[in-house]
Amino acid sequence: MTQSSKQTQLKIFLPITARPPPGVADTWLARLRQQYFSSALSAALTVATLFLFYLLISPLVDWAIIKAVWSAADRRECYSISPDGACWAGIVHWFNNIIYGRYPDLEQWRINLVFIALVAWAWPIFVSRFPHKTLVFLSLWFIFPLFASYLLLGGTHNIVSQIFFAVACAMVIIIVACLVWLLLGRGLNPSHSSLMRLRLPALGLTVLAFACQYYLVLVPVETTRWGGLFLTLVIASVAIMMALPIGILLALGRRSSLPVIKYLSITFIELVRSVPLITVLFMAVTMLPFFMPNSVELDKLAQVLVAVSLFSGAYMAENVRGGLQAIAQGQTEAAQSLGMNYWQTMLFIVLPQALRLMIPNIVTSFISTLKDTTLVSIIGLFDILLMAKNMALDKKWLDLHTEPLVLIATIFFVLCYGMSQYSLHLERKLQWSH
Amino acid sequence: MEITSSSQQKNTGWSWHNPTLRGWFYQSFTIITVLFLVYYLGSNMIENLRLMGLPFGFDFLTSTASFDIGWTIIDYRPDMNYWRVYLVGISNTLILSFLIIVFATVLGFLMGVVRLSKHPLVAILARAYIEIFRNIPLLIQIIFWFVVVFLELPKPKNSFTLGESVFLNNRGLYTPELLTNSPVLMVLLLTVAVWLLYWLLPSRLKPQQSQLKSPSEPEAKSQAVLATTGLKWLGYGLMLYVVFLIFSDDFSWQNPQRGRFNIEGGLFLPAAFCAALIAMTVYRSVTIAEMVRAGILSVDQGQKNAAQAIGFTRWQTLKLILIPQSARSIIPPLINAWLTIVKESSLAVAIGFPELVSLFMQTSLNQTGRAIEVVMMVMAFYVVTSLLISGLMNQLNKRMQIKER
Repeated sequence: MTQSSKQTQLKIFLPITARPPPGVADTWLARLRQQYFSSALSAALTVATLFLFYLLISPLVDWAIIKAVWSAADRRECYSISPDGACWAGIVHWFNNIIYGRYPDLEQWRINLVFIALVAWAWPIFVSRFPHKTLVFLSLWFIFPLFASYLLLGGTHNIVSQIFFAVACAMVIIIVACLVWLLLGRGLNPSHSSLMRLRLPALGLTVLAFACQYYLVLVPVETTRWGGLFLTLVIASVAIMMALPIGILLALGRRSSLPVIKYLSITFIELVRSVPLITVLFMAVTMLPFFMPNSVELDKLAQVLVAVSLFSGAYMAENVRGGLQAIAQGQTEAAQSLGMNYWQTMLFIVLPQALRLMIPNIVTSFISTLKDTTLVSIIGLFDILLMAKNMALDKKWLDLHTEPLVLIATIFFVLCYGMSQYSLHLERKLQWSH
Repeated sequence: MEITSSSQQKNTGWSWHNPTLRGWFYQSFTIITVLFLVYYLGSNMIENLRLMGLPFGFDFLTSTASFDIGWTIIDYRPDMNYWRVYLVGISNTLILSFLIIVFATVLGFLMGVVRLSKHPLVAILARAYIEIFRNIPLLIQIIFWFVVVFLELPKPKNSFTLGESVFLNNRGLYTPELLTNSPVLMVLLLTVAVWLLYWLLPSRLKPQQSQLKSPSEPEAKSQAVLATTGLKWLGYGLMLYVVFLIFSDDFSWQNPQRGRFNIEGGLFLPAAFCAALIAMTVYRSVTIAEMVRAGILSVDQGQKNAAQAIGFTRWQTLKLILIPQSARSIIPPLINAWLTIVKESSLAVAIGFPELVSLFMQTSLNQTGRAIEVVMMVMAFYVVTSLLISGLMNQLNKRMQIKER
C-alpha cells in the first residue's frame, strides 16, 4: 500500500508483469485446471470418467486380489474361505497343464529348452551390433524347426535329422558365445574371415553334439498330448513361418505377366480370403482324409498346420503385394539393365527392400494369427483355450470358468499388446530411416 | 548392329533364353502340376468313397433332417429336409452378422471420435477400451460373455425384468413382439424404415445437394427445395400413419409371460445369440474405431484450422468438415471390416448358436457323412456373400471417389 502510493507520487514507470500467453499453464495446478476443469462440460466429464473408472476397477480389484483365495485343495474349500472372491488356487493347480498341455511332466524340460534356444537364436536379429543377421535369420528359418521337432517329438530319428540336430546345437552354442562376448563389451568383427575362423570350433561342436545325441534317448511324445500355451505358440509360429514363403510366391504369382500363373494365384488368394478360418479348419479335418490315399495315417495337428499355413499364406500374400508395390519401378529397371534375370532381381534387389518395409505388417499378422489360433479348440485340439475350458470339467474345480478365462485373456493381452507396441516402434523407426 | 541382331537371334530361337518360350514352359508346367494334383486327389477321393460305399451327390438335401433347431428366423420343423436346414443356417448367419454390422459401425464411429477427445481422461478411457478388446482373441471374448455373463444370470423363475415386458435370464432375452396379420402394414413399416435410413444419411450423399450446388439455376434450386420439403412431409405423414396403426387393432404387441418353468411368448433371443452379438460388436467396433480415427487424422490439419477460423464449433467441424472428407479413406477398410464380420459370425458355433457352420458343417455333416458336399456348400455361401458385398460396396466407393472432382 505504501509502495503503491510512493509509486504514484514519484511517477516511476513500473510495467505490470506480463500475463502468461493463453493456453500455457505453468504450474501443475493450473495445468490440472486447464486440462480437466476448463469448462463445465470438461469438469463433468472428468468426474464422470473418474467415477466410471472407480465403478469398473474397484469390484475387479476386490474380486481378483482382496477377496481372492490362493491356496485350497478344491473349489468347495475356496468357496468356504471366500464365497465371492477369485479362486486362484485352481489356476495354481492347473497352471502346468495350461502352459504345457498334457505333455509328460518329466519331459517338459524339452519344451523349455526349445524355447530358450529359440530366444537365444532369435536374439541376434534384434541386437544391432551383431554381424551376419541374414545368416542367423535363414538358419532360424530352416534349421531351427528341425531342431525343435527333434526335441519335441522325441523317439528315433533318421541320420539326416540327427545331423541337423547336431548342427543346430553347435549353432546355438556359438550364437550364445557370441552374445556373451558382446555383453562383455568386446566388439564382433562382421567380416567374412571372422566367420571362417569359427568353422573349426563349429565342426568340433557339431561332431560332439552328434556323438552326444547318439546316447541321448528321448521318449516319444505324440502330438495328441501336446497342448496348452505351448501348442498355441507352435501352431502360430509354424503358420507364420510357412506363410511367409507361401505369401511371397503367391504375391509374385499375382504380379506375374504369365496369365496362367497370375489367375491361379488370384483365384487361390481370393477364395481363401473370402471364407472364414473355421470352415477351412473343418475342411482340413473332415474333407482332407477323403483326398488322401487310404494307407496314409493323418495326424490331426499336421492337418491343422497345413490349413492354418495356407490360410495365413493367402493373407500374407496381400501384405507382400503391398510391400512390393512400395518399391519404385526404377529398382527393377536398374537391376534388369545390369543384366539380372527375374529371380536375381527379385531375390537380391526387390524382395530384401520390400521385406524390410513389411516387418511391421508381418508382426501384425503374427498377432492376428496368434489370436486366430484359438479356433483350433473348436475342432478339438487341446490348445490354451480348450485346456482352460477343460479345467471347469475337473471334478475338484467343477464350473470354475471365470478364473481360467481371465488368466488366458491376460496372457494373450500381454503377448499381443507387447508385440503391437513393438510393431509400432518398428514402424516409427522405418519412417525415420526413410 | 551385330550385337542387336545376335541378341535378337538369341531371344527368338528354341532356347532357354527366349522369354516367350520360357513363359510358355512355366505356364504349361504349372498347368500340368495342377492337373496332376487334381487327378491324384480326385482318384483318391473316388477310391475312398467307393470303399466307404458313399456316392457323391447332392441328393441328401431332399432327405428329412429329423433334428430340432433351437432358434430360427424362418419356419422350421424337424420333418423338413437338409436344404431347409441350409437356408435356416444362412438366415441365422445373416441376421446375426447384419445386427453386428449395424451396432459395431455405430459404436465404432462413436469410440473413434471419443478416442480423439482433447480431454485426457476420456482419451485414456477410449484407449483402454480399444487396447483391451483388440488384444484378446475374439473366441475367448465370446466364450467369456456366454459362460461368465449370460449363464451366470438368474434362472427363469427369478429373471430380471423391465416392467414385466422385457425379461433377462440365463436362457436369454425376451422382448415384446410386434404381431400383425396384414402384409401391407409390414411393407409400410419397411418404407418408413428406409425413409428413416435415408434421413440419417450424410447430406452430401443425397441427390438434392448436388442440385443445390448450382446457384446459377434458381429454377432448379427451388424445385429441389420443394422436392426435399415434400419428401420430408411425406415421411412425417407416413410415420404418423404407422404410429396410428401400431396402436390400432391390426398391430398388437405380444408381451412375454411368466410361465410355470419358463418365460413364454414374445420375441426370444437366446443367450448364445446375445453373447455372440455383444462380443463381436465390441471386438469389431474397436477395429472400426481405429479406422475412423485414422481417417479423421488423415484429413489435412488446415481444414480443421480453417473451419475454426470461420467460427465453426468443434462439433460442427467434426460433422461438416472432418467426417465427410475422411469418408473416402474410411469406406474401403470399413467394407473389409463388414466382410470380416460376416465371416467371423461363424465363431458363434463355439457357444452352440445354430448358424450355418454349426447347423451344416457340424450337425448335418455328422448325420449324413457327406463331408465334401457339405463343406463345398458352406464355402460357396461365404464366397458368394463376400463377392456380392465387395462388389456392391466397390460401386458405392467408386461413386464417392468420382464426386470429389
